[in-house]
This record gives sequence, C-alpha cells and structure tokens, in this order.
Amino acid sequence: MTKRITIDPITRIEGHLRVDVEIANGQVSDSWASCTMWRGIEKILEGRDPREAWLFTQRFCGVCTTVHAMASVRAVEDALKLEVPPNAQYIRNLILINHALHDHIVHFYQLSALDWVDVLTIPKADPAKTSALAESLSPWTRNSKNEMKAAQDKVKGVAASGQFGIFANGYWGHPQMKLSPEVNLLAFAHYLQALEYQRKANQVVGMLGSKTPHIQNLAVGGVANAINLDNQATLNMDRLEGMRVLMSEVINFVRNVYVPDACAIAGFYADWFKIGKGVNNYLAVPDLPLDSKGTQFDLPGGYIFDGNLAGVNRFKTAADQAFRDGVTEDVTHSYYEGDKPLHPWKGETVPDFTDFQADKKYSWVKSPRFQGRPMQVGPLAQILVGYAQGDPLTRKWTDAALEKISAVAGRKITVDDLQSTLGRHVARVIRTAMLTDLADKQWQLLVNNIAKGDTAIYNQPQFPSGEIEGVGTHEAPRGVLSHWVVVKDGKIKNYQAVVPSTWNGSPRDKDGARGPYEASLMYTPIANAELPLEIIRTVHSFDPCMACACHTFDPSGEQIAKVKVL
Amino acid sequence: MSRVLIAGVGNVLLGDDGIGPYIVNVLNACYSFGPNVEIEDFGTPALDFIDNMVGRDALIVIDSVDNGEPPGTITLYRKSDIMRITPSVRMDPHSPALVESLMAADLFGSSPAEVLLVGISGECYNAGCELSPAVKNALKNAVKVVLDELRRLNEPYSVESNTSVVDVWWSRKDQIPVQPSSN
Repeated sequence: MTKRITIDPITRIEGHLRVDVEIANGQVSDSWASCTMWRGIEKILEGRDPREAWLFTQRFCGVCTTVHAMASVRAVEDALKLEVPPNAQYIRNLILINHALHDHIVHFYQLSALDWVDVLTIPKADPAKTSALAESLSPWTRNSKNEMKAAQDKVKGVAASGQFGIFANGYWGHPQMKLSPEVNLLAFAHYLQALEYQRKANQVVGMLGSKTPHIQNLAVGGVANAINLDNQATLNMDRLEGMRVLMSEVINFVRNVYVPDACAIAGFYADWFKIGKGVNNYLAVPDLPLDSKGTQFDLPGGYIFDGNLAGVNRFKTAADQAFRDGVTEDVTHSYYEGDKPLHPWKGETVPDFTDFQADKKYSWVKSPRFQGRPMQVGPLAQILVGYAQGDPLTRKWTDAALEKISAVAGRKITVDDLQSTLGRHVARVIRTAMLTDLADKQWQLLVNNIAKGDTAIYNQPQFPSGEIEGVGTHEAPRGVLSHWVVVKDGKIKNYQAVVPSTWNGSPRDKDGARGPYEASLMYTPIANAELPLEIIRTVHSFDPCMACACHTFDPSGEQIAKVKVL
Repeated sequence: MSRVLIAGVGNVLLGDDGIGPYIVNVLNACYSFGPNVEIEDFGTPALDFIDNMVGRDALIVIDSVDNGEPPGTITLYRKSDIMRITPSVRMDPHSPALVESLMAADLFGSSPAEVLLVGISGECYNAGCELSPAVKNALKNAVKVVLDELRRLNEPYSVESNTSVVDVWWSRKDQIPVQPSSN
C-alpha cells in the first residue's frame, strides 16, 4: 500500500520548504521538494548602481547576509576585471571564515543535533559516567561532572514544568533514537556551550564588518577598513590581537568539542552512512583567494560526476570558464514561464503559478543544472572535490575524522561512505576543522602584509559605457553561491542569484531528473509514517535555508491591547 | 550588554515587512537614548536572535504581523501572549520564530522578563522597497508606543529631530554613497 505524506509545517506567508513523499513497503518510493513562496527580489536591483547592490543582496536572507554581500561585490569586480588589494582579500577571508565557523557550529548543535539526540532520556543519565566518557574523547576543560549535572538539571526543569517549550515537537522515544542517556547528555551539555562559542566567531565578523548582521565594510574594489597601526579608530594591532584571542577560543571549541562529538555520534549511527546518498554529482567553487588577481585559493573547487572521485575536474579560478559556461536554470517544474533552460545572464523570472501539481509545476525554486545535470552542493561536495584532488588540508582533517569514526563504529568508514545523510554532517565538521587552520593562517597573512607597510584596501571601480557581464562566486556554508550581473552604462540591467539551497532543493528538470533533496530521500526506510524522523534527518543534513525572505510575525495568541490608527 | 534592546525585524526588500527596520531608522535619526538602551535593525535574524536576548531585562520587538486586522493597525503583545504559541516542527532549520528564540534564551540563560512586541499589520509583502500608505501612517503611533514603553521601563530618551523627515537608505531612489572616501 502506498501512503502519501506532506511535511509542510508552516502556513505563514514566508516561503517554506515543503516535502512530499510516497511510502510503500516501509520505504520512500517517490519524493518532491518544493518551496512555497516566490522571492524574485533580484528585480529590485534593476536600474541601480552596481556599487550599492551588495547592501540590498545581503537582505535576501536572514541567516546568510554576509555571503550575499560578498558574492555581489565579487560579481561586479568580475565584470570590471577589477583587482582587489591583498589586505582586502585577507579581511574578506577572515569575515567569511568566521561567518562559516559560526554557521556550522549553530547548524550542528542548535539546528540538527536533536534529530539524533533524545533529550527526554537525559534525566536517566549518570553525570559522572558522562563526564568520564567526555574526558576520554578530548581534553576540553568544560566536561566536568558538575557541568554535566547542570545541563541535566536544565532538562529536568523543563520536563518537570510540564511545558516542553522548545522541545515540544521533537521525535522523542522514536525507535531511530539510539544513543545512550550519557551520550545524549554529553551532546546536550555541548549544545548549551556551543551558543557561547558561535557568538565569539560572530563577534569577529562584527569587528571587521562594523556590525552583524549586515556587515558595512565592503566596497566594490576592496574593503572600507582603514588600516593604521598607530590610530585607535582604525584597524590596528590591538584590534587584530582581540580578534585572534576570540578566534583561538572558537578554534579550541571546534577541535576539542565539535570534532569529537560529531565523530562519536557518527560512529554510533554508522548505519546512516548507507542512507540518503541521492544525487552523486558534486560541485564546489574555489574560495579564500590568496592574491589580488584571484589565482591561488585556500579552498579548492571543481566538480565530480556520478560519484567518480578519480575523474574529478578542477576549477582554476573562482569564476572558471567551465562554471561560467556550464550553469543553466530550468523551469519545467517551477512556477515560471519558459520553455528551455536559460543561462543566468539571460535569466527570466516571470511567475506562472499553478497549484502543487506533482507531474507538472510544483515549486517556486528553479532547477539549476551544471552541464545539464543536477548537482549536490555544500560541505560534502567541497570535501570530496578537495580530497579527490589530493588537497593536503582536506586530506588531513578527513583522514583524522574517518579514523575517529571508524574506531567508534568498529568498522572502517571510508571517503565513499561520506556520500550519505550522515556523511553530509561529517563533511561539515571536516570543513569546520579546516577553517580553524585557515583562520590562523589568514590572520597571519594579514598581519604580515600590514607589517610590510602595505595599507592598501581599495581599488576604485570605473564603469565603461556599454554592456558588461560578471559572475561572483562564494563557497558559502551551504555550498556554491553565485551572483550573475549584467551592467549597462554603469547601471544594473539584470541580476540573478543562484543560491545553494536552489541547487540542493531544486525540483525535477525537463529530463525528469530529481533534485538532490528529492533524490536523497528515495528508498529511505521509514519506521512510522506518522513520525517521519528519517526524512527530517536527511533534509536537515543539507542545512536548507529558504525561509528567510519574509519574517512577518503570525500570532495565534490573544491580543492584550490594540492601538487603532486614526 | 545593555539592559534594554529595541529590535526592528523584517525584510526591507519585501514591502511592509520592512516596517520594523524602518522604525529603527526613524528612532535612531530622531531620538537619542541612554546607555541602557541598545537599538538595532536585525533584518530577519532567525535563531541568531537568541544571542541578543540572553541576559537582557527588557526587549521591544517591532515587526509586521499577519493577524487579519486592517493594514496599519498596531497590536501589542506581551511575553505571555507570545509564549502561548507552540513551536512547530522545523523542516527548514532557519524558520524564524520569536517564540522559539525566547524559549531558547531561557534554556541558555535567561530571556528578558519584559517583552513587548509592537505588531503592525501589513498590506503588501511583494518585492519592493516602499511601505504601503496605511503602514506608513502607522509610523508615528508605533514610535509613540516604543517611547511609552521606555518611559514605563524608566529609561530616558530625548528628541533630536522631526520624525517625518528621515532618510532610510533602502527607500532611496538615487545613489547610496558606499565607496570608501580615500585610500
């Protein structure tokens, strides 16, 4: 018997991810991912000055503000062939690294850990045993019995109140929850601590960007952070040292808490390395440029088809010709007019809404394709592309993680196993660990360059008459982000943002090929269709982000007072 | 960290959803506040909001609301009203939710004891940077509500200039000066 379920939890006016699956014989037999709201906010940019586009693009999304600002200035710089001074590259890189550190920590602990950690078993845990287990995994200083007891008391307090509050809708007691009460308590104690450390990373973004959310220090051609080591009002050694101290605390947390936690949990749930593979074409762009022209990068990029790591193709630049030429967007199953896939510079966004029609149009998300194929983007894509190319930093942290996981799982877990739901979480922690090394490196590069006497931060853009095109890319926390701009006589003529969650959350294309969310859900065993924890786990493993366009508060509580406007 | 946070939330690119950040710009331009008050345009903060709540005594959130009232209606909600809402299953981990943020703040430390949500019913949430006339008309009353709340909290403020002439960057038609002045 086939059963159809829809997970569409929120009916507010924002765009939300909706997932429909058919379940037959205890596993998913078909799937559809759709987004329920039209964004189309790129239209606002038409006719505007390209130098100010980033101020608007960082308002696209509430979580990923910084990344849209960065992709935008890079797109305009690409159109102008404008170089960026080394200091500006390093400052931007430090912002991107710290943003990603913050984002990945939040994703693992606050946003997805409770898919795997059963909070309601925690009152049964022994804090002393939990502490002993934690101390066997890492030298972290906040693993004491008292620390664990305090975390346990928080859960007991929530349970005793009878109001589960933030835990009201977890799938507690689900047969797929397999960790011992002690491991659950350990993860929960770190869930509480994680909030402090992600904040420190965000503080670094704020120190360089003048504020967060919504950094203020970017410019087409560089950054606006004046550098003068003798001036208190500018970027000076005191501020750089303050940043280094904050970063060292975040680095310590990642290496001694996030890495061991993620590897231990992955080892306990090793069956999930066999679930959720889906689309095994992978796409990543190089990022963290090391020179003005953008020829050398700390993070490698490229693409892999059909899971064939040996056949990896490398992108030489952040806007490699193969990438420029290879991206199209298909609207066969999206609520837009159009009869063939279009390149983003030629992209059109003419809405054509129908209701959800599984065999016709069913999503507001377009279907980006690379060389005609659906591609999975995100940390997993980046790790596989880097590992396949032999990138030393990727190999170092991947091998270390796989060794830890294998020890817990009691069998060898390989790079190929990462092509899975659990692998996407593991890849994210590997990427985070890589970024801890790069945070130190990029900080040192900036300090050394300033010490040489170079204080340049900005090259003035000059707009020619006539039409120019540019693409700005960023390997964002959720994967490949690209902004595509056409500038005519110094004004924006067309602007398209192809975002990571569009790649991963895309509907089927003209050939009927499913997008990555859809494909990854196929054949997933479902224990209880009323409590589809397995689906939530796989969707969350991609770290989807589509809901932030609009934020209206939808109260269902009672009103206590009204102020009528006269 | 200051005792009181005034937070404007909403997407400035989606019409009336930008009223929260708009009012923050008005408050910043026209009033000055004491050291206990922080005022910030958060855009669409999602769970990052938690960070900014933990440890504060009072929170004033200004946001558009979808409550079936005519556009421009201002409805006030206190903490007990907001906390009555049960969070739903999060498909998308970034679904912004005030109630979740307050609950999480309690878990991580303490959420503000005093919460006021100044909710302004919107009319149009389509892409575009203009407020609808009804919502714009609500501006003065919304500002007054915020100032009344500050008075109730015994936090002083002073008037700097007229509320009706404020330059809000995303509403500007002409160019926004964004490039560094010199190098």
